[in-house]
Amino acid sequence: MTQHDPVCGMEIEPQSAFAKREHMGQTFYFCSQSCVDQFDKDPHHYMMTSATTGFNPQMTLTRIELPVSGLPLKDHATHLESTLRAVNGVAEVKVNVAANRLEVQYDAGKVDVSKLVGAVKSIGFQVGGTNVKIGIENLRCASCVKFIEDELKSTQGVLNATVNIATQEATVDYLPQNTTLAELNKAIETWGYKSRQATSDAPVDKQEEAHANEYRKLMNKFWFAAAISVIVMITAYYQIVPVLRDLSMDSLRLVWGVTALLTLPVMFWSGSDFFTGGWAAFKHRSANMNTLIALGTGAAWLYSTFAILFPSVFPEGTSEPFYDVVAVVIALVVLGQALELRAKGQSSSAIKKLLGLQAKTARVIRDGKEMDIPVEEVLVGDVIQVRPGEKVPVDGVIVEGSSAVDESMLTGESMPASKKMGDEVIGATINKTGAFKFRTTKVGKDTALAQIVKMVQDAQNSKAPIARLADTVSGYFVPIVMILAVWTFVVWFAFGPQPQLVYALVTSVTVLIIACPCALGLATPMSLMVGIGKGAESGILIRSGEALQTARAIQIVVLDKTGTITKGKPELTDVILGEQSSVDSDQLLKLASSVEKVSEHPLAQAIVDGAQARKLKLAEVKDFEAIPGHGVSAKVEDKNILIGNLKLMNRENIALGSLEEKSKSLADDGKTPMFIAIDGKAAGIIAVADTVKEDSAEAIAVLQKMGIEVVMITGDNRRTAEAIARKVGITRVLAEVLPEDKANNIQQLQAEGKQVAMVGDGINDAPALAQADVGLAIGTGTDVAIEASDITLIKGSLKGVVTAIEVSRATMTNIYQNLVGAFFYNVLGIPVAMGLLFPFFGVLLSPLIAGAAMAFSSVTVVGNANRLRGFKPKFTAR
Amino acid sequence: MSPSQITVVLFGLGLTILIAWYFWFAPKAQTRVAVSASGAQEVAITVRGGYTPDVIVVQKGRPVRLTFTRQESSACSEKVLFPDFNQNANLPEGEQVTLEFTPDKAGEYGFQCQMGMLRGKLIVE
Repeated sequence: MTQHDPVCGMEIEPQSAFAKREHMGQTFYFCSQSCVDQFDKDPHHYMMTSATTGFNPQMTLTRIELPVSGLPLKDHATHLESTLRAVNGVAEVKVNVAANRLEVQYDAGKVDVSKLVGAVKSIGFQVGGTNVKIGIENLRCASCVKFIEDELKSTQGVLNATVNIATQEATVDYLPQNTTLAELNKAIETWGYKSRQATSDAPVDKQEEAHANEYRKLMNKFWFAAAISVIVMITAYYQIVPVLRDLSMDSLRLVWGVTALLTLPVMFWSGSDFFTGGWAAFKHRSANMNTLIALGTGAAWLYSTFAILFPSVFPEGTSEPFYDVVAVVIALVVLGQALELRAKGQSSSAIKKLLGLQAKTARVIRDGKEMDIPVEEVLVGDVIQVRPGEKVPVDGVIVEGSSAVDESMLTGESMPASKKMGDEVIGATINKTGAFKFRTTKVGKDTALAQIVKMVQDAQNSKAPIARLADTVSGYFVPIVMILAVWTFVVWFAFGPQPQLVYALVTSVTVLIIACPCALGLATPMSLMVGIGKGAESGILIRSGEALQTARAIQIVVLDKTGTITKGKPELTDVILGEQSSVDSDQLLKLASSVEKVSEHPLAQAIVDGAQARKLKLAEVKDFEAIPGHGVSAKVEDKNILIGNLKLMNRENIALGSLEEKSKSLADDGKTPMFIAIDGKAAGIIAVADTVKEDSAEAIAVLQKMGIEVVMITGDNRRTAEAIARKVGITRVLAEVLPEDKANNIQQLQAEGKQVAMVGDGINDAPALAQADVGLAIGTGTDVAIEASDITLIKGSLKGVVTAIEVSRATMTNIYQNLVGAFFYNVLGIPVAMGLLFPFFGVLLSPLIAGAAMAFSSVTVVGNANRLRGFKPKFTAR
Repeated sequence: MSPSQITVVLFGLGLTILIAWYFWFAPKAQTRVAVSASGAQEVAITVRGGYTPDVIVVQKGRPVRLTFTRQESSACSEKVLFPDFNQNANLPEGEQVTLEFTPDKAGEYGFQCQMGMLRGKLIVE
């Protein structure tokens, strides 16, 4: 039986082997001295006995740690343990609930990792390995596939590996904590192959590369066609060319015959796409731009060739060729396509920018050691160290340290957000001041950035309803142009001046060439792509072209109060002292917050936070008692403290004096006042309220200036609601609306015949968001994929609503410009090409000019769409 | 009118009818998709100047798996869109790209390249 040299992989007969070695009970054969030397240096490296783990069966027990996810480990730990223990060969199972990890000791001779993984998966868990694709250069031999697969599988930590020779890629499932990408690459390189980044993993770069190739190809085709065009033009205008004008008709025909041959490669190489594309479309009973160009240039060439071959068939003066039309039109249209491609590349720059935000590496702490690994290898649950000035690689929650993080790239918010333990951090944001460690919660495709990119890409490729009109038109467009060309020919031939055949042919070819269905087809998608990308740059994720189009015509914006206009979290607003108070306001607050620190009331936290903001030290609390429906009582610093509502004060017979009046006016402002009594005497009032976001009023004013009615909707009582509404300048308030009735209220507004947008938090407001013509969800941080919404504002600011509408308006204007431009271009161009101006002004369009016009009309459309890139929202993010 | 003019007029009429019939009225060949062992309706589509096949008939309620292979470098066809299903894919030249979704409403749905030059139709029954 032939054996493989473990070092070079060569197949050798054991008897003719150069050398042989025994290692851990196995025999190895070698082809040469150098292979033996390499083996002797590190024999262990070449052990391939246990195919999946790299652990040797002779070592008694193998230990592996598997990160598990999918089910709450706490509840299923025992089940998981017993399932694994039942697997033959498993010696010891430990479940670490806190770290979501599983530690297994097993006999690698009896069971392999893939079986363990299978057992874990069989009860509903997932094993948190990761999957990577590695490109392999010049992988030709099918037999090497097996070697590379085995080599990968024998690398420690690899769960499974397959190599696909067709795509030249290896797909590897592995545990990133046990190996690194570099190790995997090394495994491939031991077999003499070079690894590279997998092509299917880098779609944007690849597309860019494909574009660059296509551009080069088109430009080559153009230069060739242009060079031929020059020669053909000289022969076409022979009357003004010194040598040619003296030639006899017969020698001229010979010259033309040469140009006929010269234009053939122009048609079938430079213009090959028109002919193959036109033919492919024809077979499908459809027609497009290719059909028109192919017909136009084809007809011109055929006529010209007939004319020079059989001049006697044609009337006097009509036997001159039009090879110039063929060559020049193809050259121009190819150039147009190249320029269009270049311009298109710029349109997708938003996605490139977003992807460029991604950090390349992460500093992960594993087993107490810091190591830099590629960001693709980061796992959920890893702890990552981020130093000042570094990018946060993936999404997670801070577990140690605090810092200010610049999130402007994702949220458009220019002020760095301060982050402390327990706060979320988002991948691709930049850590400014402090160092911190965070535990990753989302990696790879699940990170906020990856989801944003996916959403933006999907939206860019979606369709605005207006595009359907253009689609319907272009469905009929080309055959209509063909029919028009036929009748142009007929009319010129039957009623035109002499030489009829020449006029008829030139005009009908001009009609075919000037018609530009591409400009119509490009008008919407190009602007949409730029517009949606522009939104994303400002932290506004527009889900589809439809949402973008509807947002333009919004007449009413309904704002949810809590969390949308306001911060959604009560804050301490007022501390008022009573006339006979024995303490000052700081002391009052200190006493009150000391008591509230113990309380579990939702408003209590606001008071404690307020005290902390004033850097007050809290005192010790004794005899705390909650009095349901009234308030609380406690003893602080030997003082009897009462905090509560009017009922509590009345029950305890405490005289309030002017405080009662003041509390009423606070309540009128939408605040919640609480009385405080010290040792049976009224000491003051502390008020808390859900405060308005700093920029709400400004954003609402701008919306109103844009001619949009702003309505507030809330479940709160009318008094509180109106107090807030007054503050931000809203006059129409829908108060005391039950959550389930919000959608109904939206419907009623729509019944007024208005286009209604709803802005809410996306969770409680989901039905209302769905009911509205456009639902805008206010997301915070990582929560970008809010299903019910048409538009997501990543940052909680209402300014995003303004920007969203601005982006929509600018994009739609751009689309209209494109559509109207493309439409008028065709509506004006075709009749002129048909010769409609001829009877009045004697003007006819040259087919060469028609070719240029057609080529540059689509470039113009793409160029106009790119103008949108310069659009600046009113509230510029940075 | 001379005989040649009359011939040209008649020829023009005939050609008009032919164009209208060929592009609009003639019935198009439809490709019915069989349901594979996995329960999905699988069809391979070649992209080269057009989609082959371009009229695809599928049943509703079953997943449809369309595998596109683009065999040209022209940038026109680099994307395929199914606007009604909010599905789209980049089609790198020479690579198989699979789109999968489940149509749950009967009807005719167009698919196309980004600017609508190449078109096909998905008929859901």
